[in-house]
Amino acid sequence: MAMPTLASLGPRELRARLRGPGLRLQTGPFVTCIRSPLAPLADTLAAMYADYPVLDDGALADFHVRLSGPTGLRRLVRPQVHFHYDGMAPFQPLPLDQAFPMFEWAMNWCVSSQAHSWLVIHAAVIERGGVAAILPAPPGSGKSTLCAALVNRGWRLLSDELTLVRLDDGLIDPLPRPVSLKNASIGIIRDYAPDAALTRPVADTVKGTVAHMRASGDSVARAAEAAAPAWIVFPKWQAGAAAELTPVARAPAHMRLAENAFNYSLLGEAGFQAVGRLVDDARTFDFRYGVLDDAVAVFEQLLRERT
Amino acid sequence: MPHTCSAPVWRLVEGQRLAHRCHDGQCVLFNDLTGDTHLLEHAVLDLLAALRAAPASAAVLAGADGLPDSDPGILAEFDELLADLAALSLVEALP
Repeated sequence: MAMPTLASLGPRELRARLRGPGLRLQTGPFVTCIRSPLAPLADTLAAMYADYPVLDDGALADFHVRLSGPTGLRRLVRPQVHFHYDGMAPFQPLPLDQAFPMFEWAMNWCVSSQAHSWLVIHAAVIERGGVAAILPAPPGSGKSTLCAALVNRGWRLLSDELTLVRLDDGLIDPLPRPVSLKNASIGIIRDYAPDAALTRPVADTVKGTVAHMRASGDSVARAAEAAAPAWIVFPKWQAGAAAELTPVARAPAHMRLAENAFNYSLLGEAGFQAVGRLVDDARTFDFRYGVLDDAVAVFEQLLRERT
Repeated sequence: MPHTCSAPVWRLVEGQRLAHRCHDGQCVLFNDLTGDTHLLEHAVLDLLAALRAAPASAAVLAGADGLPDSDPGILAEFDELLADLAALSLVEALP
């Protein structure tokens, strides 16, 4: 029997769970128990996570998080949102209107700091035809913009931010969650994919103005369907640049991938072997692009070359 | 400085298993003691493997590579390389 989705709860039940025992939300292999009295956060969760499975009260959760609002006079002057994890407050509070971005960043932190049954790479990852392209890159490289464009042109979102590589067989477990877009990328994706569902942009965050794009229903429905890595592509957006792939030799690719992994050192030799297997199994490229349609065409070509 | 009979003899640091992967003349090596990964030329991995087999001086290592084992310039290059590897806790001079 299919698990109920967040949308099936309805707004009243959703808020009751968030205020009470916690909303147990499944994202990929993880269950997060979320508690919060913040109505705007509930509304955005309903919009962004409508298709995601929810578990019954009392079900075991991997992460227990709480986002609380201001109390006392703080409600009147620059109200803030506080994030709590297992009773700790690992982050500074943020302005109240940043509750949803804070939730997303905190979810990333939960996984990147604790999911050590996988090699966790700071990378977007997308799939088509059963094979995956990993896009590791630092902020500002255009990784999320490219990922958002590709998933609006037929690729399945596995993750916008965290690539989960299994240690035993090297397959990638999906963790589809909303795609984080920043600053100019928000307008670019609005124009590129007018039907994409985006949150209202939130200005003046530490990352500038941010908005999140909802993952497709297909990506969410297939969240248990792992994919084999076929390409590792280090993207770099550059105004006016022609879309061009440049092969990267395997040994340097290993080093660069390791630099982008959150828990490579913590995993020790298991991390070394996991990255080694990835660069053995996948072709690695640097990728410079200036126009999204051209970039998407390059990925289509990569796919055609495999078939 | 000329090499003499007191030139150091080097060995692989105990605990290094030299887990590695090589592609196209380049290797990545997992450092068991520090947890770091190093990008090395294949020839350097060969040198480490030689020191795992038996401790050796720079002159012996040069000779094993078919290089003049008394050329001061070559020996200085080996000394520099071995010092770099020692700084990475991969090799050490015998006491």
